[in-house]
Amino acid sequence: MIVPNAPQLETERLILRGPDAGDAEAMIAFLLDRERADGFGGYDHRGDAWRWFALNVGHWHLRGYGYFTIEMKDTGKPAGISGIWNPEGWPEPEIGWVVFEGYEGRGIAREAAERVRRYAYEDLGLKTLTSNIVPGNTRSIALAERMGASYERTYQNHHMGEDLLYRHPGPDEVLG
Amino acid sequence: MPAPVLHTPRLTLRGHVMADLEALCDLLGTERARHMGGPLPRLEAWRWMASEVAMWDLMGHGVWGIETRDGTFLGQIGITRPPHYPEVELGWTLLEDAEGAGYASEAAQAVLLWAWENGFSSLVSYITPGNDRSVALAQRLGATHDPEAALPEGETAADTVVFRHRPDADGSPEAYA
Repeated sequence: MIVPNAPQLETERLILRGPDAGDAEAMIAFLLDRERADGFGGYDHRGDAWRWFALNVGHWHLRGYGYFTIEMKDTGKPAGISGIWNPEGWPEPEIGWVVFEGYEGRGIAREAAERVRRYAYEDLGLKTLTSNIVPGNTRSIALAERMGASYERTYQNHHMGEDLLYRHPGPDEVLG
Repeated sequence: MPAPVLHTPRLTLRGHVMADLEALCDLLGTERARHMGGPLPRLEAWRWMASEVAMWDLMGHGVWGIETRDGTFLGQIGITRPPHYPEVELGWTLLEDAEGAGYASEAAQAVLLWAWENGFSSLVSYITPGNDRSVALAQRLGATHDPEAALPEGETAADTVVFRHRPDADGSPEAYA
């Protein structure tokens, strides 16, 4: 693990840990896959995708949180990322998720994102959380809604253009 | 790994702190950033800086913030290798107010020494033709123009000249003793 302040979280099938240099190729492959990455923010050039990978490591240093790598317990392989994202210019901290090719349709994003949400409320002490989703990303909208989030407003995101802001249930409801 | 702290007679080089980012975000937003791929809008500059901070973790080398012994921030220096670079580069940027006092040269000598002590056998500086101040500094440091060196992917001789630093010609006083 290369990010010293990232905790390791667990769920039934997953380990969530700080990004590691060995995760770079899987993340870069995702970011360069325009069809899959456009709802997240894809890139055409390897150098730019590599910069994003480094940005996430730096985000952990500057904010004290960022995207975890989702690692499958059974194989040890990276299956995606989920975490709390709040670079300069973001409206407020959001929970984000990405599942790499070959890992979709198995509930991995939900399992990871629900664990991340609990960490954000329990460990980071956040009082509210959003998820920012580009219009038309129906799979992510469906997941946000299954997690109890509801549409709040549409805004202009510096990177993504028109963006839908979903608001998650607060700590009282989630932590029960 | 965190950035090691380096000292020179007038300067301290240390890992970036949040206050540096403010100054560098401002710098990257101006025309002074044209040799660094800028100017970058402030929001992009934050993302660029965050990725710079990560280099120590990812590569085992990276960038330092330069400050005077009394803590005044002067600029950035580092050795980095983004994936489109064929070799590891020594690069530097000073805030406008910090120019003309020899700070970049002093910082660069300390970084070169660190690099030679940590197993690097050669470094390059990629300089935009016409950036005469950087060319002059590279030469003061003992670097020489290397017309045979590979260029960063996608760049031509019109974009970039390569100066090569070597341990036996680092411009430190010992090299000429």
